[in-house]
Amino acid sequence: MSNGHDIQKTPTANSALAKARTSRMSTSSTTLFLAILAAVLIVLPFVASDYWIDVCVFWGINALLSLSLNIILGEVGLFNMGHSAFYAIGAYTTAILSQRFGINLWILMVLSGLTAALAGYILTAPIMHLRGDYLLVVTIGLNEMIRITLINNPFGLTGGPNGLLVLDQFRIFGKVIQTPRDFYVLVWACVAVLLFSLFRLQRSRIGRAWNYVREDPVAAESTGVDTRWAKALAFTIGAGIAGATGTIYAAKMMVISPDSFTFAASVMLFAIVILGGTGSIPGVILASGAMLVLPEVLRDFARYRMLFFGLAMVLMMIFRPQGLWPSTRWTTKMRESGGK
Amino acid sequence: MSSRRSTRLLVVLVVLALLSLVPFAGAQEPIKIGLQAPITGPWAYEGEMAYNCVKIVADWINAAGGILGRPVQIVLGDDQGQPQQSALAAQRMVSERVVAVVGTYGSSVNDPAAAIYERNKIVNVAYGSTAETLTQQGRKYFFRTCFRDDKQGEFFANFAVDVLGAKRIAIIHDNTTFGKGLAEAALRPLQAQTKAEVVFYDAITPGERDFTAILGRMSLTNPDVVYFTGYYAEAGLIIRQMRTMSIAATFVGGNAAVNDEFVKIAGLDVAKGALMTQEPMPTDLEYPESKAFIEEYVRRHGAPPSSPWPVYAADAFKVICAAIEATGSTNSETLMNYLHDGLKDYPGITGPISFDANGDREGAIYLAYEVFGEGDFRPRR
Amino acid sequence: MVFFLNQMINGLTVGAVYALVALGYTMVYGVMRLINFAHGEFFMIGSYLGYTTLVMVLADSGLPLWLMLLIATAASTVGVAILGVSVEQVAYRPLRKSGRLAAVVSALGVSQFLQNAAMLVWGARYQAYPPWSAPEATWRVASVNISFMQVLIMAVSLLLMVGLYMFVQRTTAGTAIRATAIDHDTARLMGINVDHVIRLIFIIGPALGAIAGVLLGLYYRQIHFSVGWSYGLKAFTAAILGGIGNIPGAMLGGLLLGILEMLGAGYISAAWKDVMVFLILILLLIFRPTGLLGERVAEKV
Repeated sequence: MSNGHDIQKTPTANSALAKARTSRMSTSSTTLFLAILAAVLIVLPFVASDYWIDVCVFWGINALLSLSLNIILGEVGLFNMGHSAFYAIGAYTTAILSQRFGINLWILMVLSGLTAALAGYILTAPIMHLRGDYLLVVTIGLNEMIRITLINNPFGLTGGPNGLLVLDQFRIFGKVIQTPRDFYVLVWACVAVLLFSLFRLQRSRIGRAWNYVREDPVAAESTGVDTRWAKALAFTIGAGIAGATGTIYAAKMMVISPDSFTFAASVMLFAIVILGGTGSIPGVILASGAMLVLPEVLRDFARYRMLFFGLAMVLMMIFRPQGLWPSTRWTTKMRESGGK
Repeated sequence: MSSRRSTRLLVVLVVLALLSLVPFAGAQEPIKIGLQAPITGPWAYEGEMAYNCVKIVADWINAAGGILGRPVQIVLGDDQGQPQQSALAAQRMVSERVVAVVGTYGSSVNDPAAAIYERNKIVNVAYGSTAETLTQQGRKYFFRTCFRDDKQGEFFANFAVDVLGAKRIAIIHDNTTFGKGLAEAALRPLQAQTKAEVVFYDAITPGERDFTAILGRMSLTNPDVVYFTGYYAEAGLIIRQMRTMSIAATFVGGNAAVNDEFVKIAGLDVAKGALMTQEPMPTDLEYPESKAFIEEYVRRHGAPPSSPWPVYAADAFKVICAAIEATGSTNSETLMNYLHDGLKDYPGITGPISFDANGDREGAIYLAYEVFGEGDFRPRR
Repeated sequence: MVFFLNQMINGLTVGAVYALVALGYTMVYGVMRLINFAHGEFFMIGSYLGYTTLVMVLADSGLPLWLMLLIATAASTVGVAILGVSVEQVAYRPLRKSGRLAAVVSALGVSQFLQNAAMLVWGARYQAYPPWSAPEATWRVASVNISFMQVLIMAVSLLLMVGLYMFVQRTTAGTAIRATAIDHDTARLMGINVDHVIRLIFIIGPALGAIAGVLLGLYYRQIHFSVGWSYGLKAFTAAILGGIGNIPGAMLGGLLLGILEMLGAGYISAAWKDVMVFLILILLLIFRPTGLLGERVAEKV
């Protein structure tokens, strides 16, 4: 059985011109979105209670994770449904090294990022060539393997199902980062740095290569893009960012346990990226907030919450498969370079 | 005449008490006490029962005029049984400026919340989190009215060796915080004695249904008692598959296995005679406080609570109120000190309550339950 | 040795069920190139429908047990097949031109929806098949235990698998399925109605899943709305092991996975069992990406 469906794999080509018409408007609307977001986030600490600030801290953490998954799933189109495994590796690296050697958390953030990046490279290198949906199953498998390993407490390292304590705190010029407001600043500063880097990355050679690989791997290969390298790089960077986010999470929660890194958490991240609009940064940020706030709003319908959620996923794919805030960058590029 | 006068006095008091609930200007500000529990999510039924229990206590206290002349108010926080939601719920309690918090149910869910309460100096009294590690972190503001896993583990060890006369014991857990904690707690005292030995120790994965492989391996070690520390759904399957495989060892479950579903899944013929170690069920409590409380619960909700835990939530609420009453203060540090040192043998629904220096409840009351002919659990005599 | 034989029998029983469920994955994948994440839920709902028919409708009917079981299985099969066709109609058909990702996400959505719908209908607690519904007989042959249910499960699965294989290989409809699996457009040129073929796939797959659901419900008694997902994942792994899109492959993969699990849990450790299963899956995909009997799965052509 060969690929009978390759024709259907690139719907973008047909609709590219139509989308490109709105692309300029969309670029400026991204800027507008970021401006509004920044304004809201700056005003918020002056009006909101600690509780809502805390909700926004977790929104920020979710945003960091979703943006890191977006590199893998959105930019390169690799179906990774085990992203919380890398997040777990980062958080556990932090907890173990902090507990045993008392290393400074800022250093650990880098170390955890590097460990997760390395894990991302080693674990996914052998499976990178798999077709999309196989990759999806393998990443689910990886997620489960890592979670079960954490529970089984190998060499007494991971603390088993109880998890580990993280007693150290981030310090900046002698100030301890502790209250929800401190974390709010820390997390959203990280989001800002990440956003800046991501926009740079998207406009770079690498970013374009990624999109090319996503849209048409064979054509990309034939024009000299090393697809294997491009995919590996995406996985490494995405995993690294998730790992560094793990440090923030560990410091915020002070306790980490395998319960936080389940397969369901990975599915949630996957859904955020898809529903937000694969490859779309504003969409992903919006969706990661919506996932956190909606359950709060829908509390009265708690029993029906996940039912609606499933329904929404189906309806979204039927009526708005491009997501809440579709990414138009790729089509813009095509227009500028004279189309395909 | 005197009776008429006292009736009139009572009416006046009741009216006053009711008036004190009406929030008009100048009314006493209520004392806010938080209840953090899994109101939605997989343990929603536990959260709901805990709320029902706490509500009864609060209603009774308010009907009797509140504490320090102020009514008490329950602030509900839903942690959905998830660590992250737990941190959020705890933060919400802090924002609401509650005096103290009852909660929560799950151990791994409780940890992040306890850390936040500790930092904000808010007394929190857990009602269902039994993991040992919770009280081994030097927290000053964390207490619990339920007992620790290791106490149940010790109870099992003594029960198996002395009462059942076991020589070869197999322990199976389910890799959850709770199940593994209890298994380890049972393993330690058993390794420290010489009358019986632990011949098998392994874990199953919750949610699975076929345990024939692990049971087959276990049967090679010839155990005479099998202790399973996980939940009822798997417990029911394990005992049934044991019997199908003609493994005759006595089955003992931990307190998470006590549930009517256990009998339904295992089948009555198989379940009959199975033993469980656990806290006394609400209906088996024999303290004066418990009878009245359970009667009220049945009156309101039609049936007694179906698990032991919610009653510990009621007790947690009661000790917090007692501490406020006794110290005449809502200051966290005062309350914390009183709970550690001042409160001795407080008459709770689940028996006398005192806390040790770690915030653990002193003493331990466990019973061995047995499944009887109609599939009901009764204390084994 | 006795231990080994016992494990093999247990493994074959579980494996037979994996195989039945895996067939649903493999057929849908073969024809539509879609991982139908909702397939595990068909299996779960099949289990519940069988339970409801037995407990609510047939419990006091006075019919002989074998007839009751037959009716319950038939009712569950029909119900789930209708569900399968409706899901295809509503959630997959509109997406046939929208690329793979959209369909995968839609399948995930359907899975969430069905899981929660089942939770609302049958409750979040465990349900149990009544004790009278499952024959308890157990034989001991040379100290090897084998129960009636195990024999039944293996026999029914074998029968269904052989039947399906014959159907696909020998009948016109089967030929149409195979042609569509190779190429939709060419199949259409040959006068095959691709929509009909897909509908047929969504009748057969869910129906097999439903039968597996009832059998497993009788075997373990306990049913829960979350089992669809875990069995689905295992069955899908089995389909890949055997080579996805390949019907004998799914059977082989299912049986193999069942045996591997039982031997792993029996000889090594139950706690590490799933890690071993996924490790084997990954190693297989690295060293023999076609699966044991199947097509190429690597992206490069």
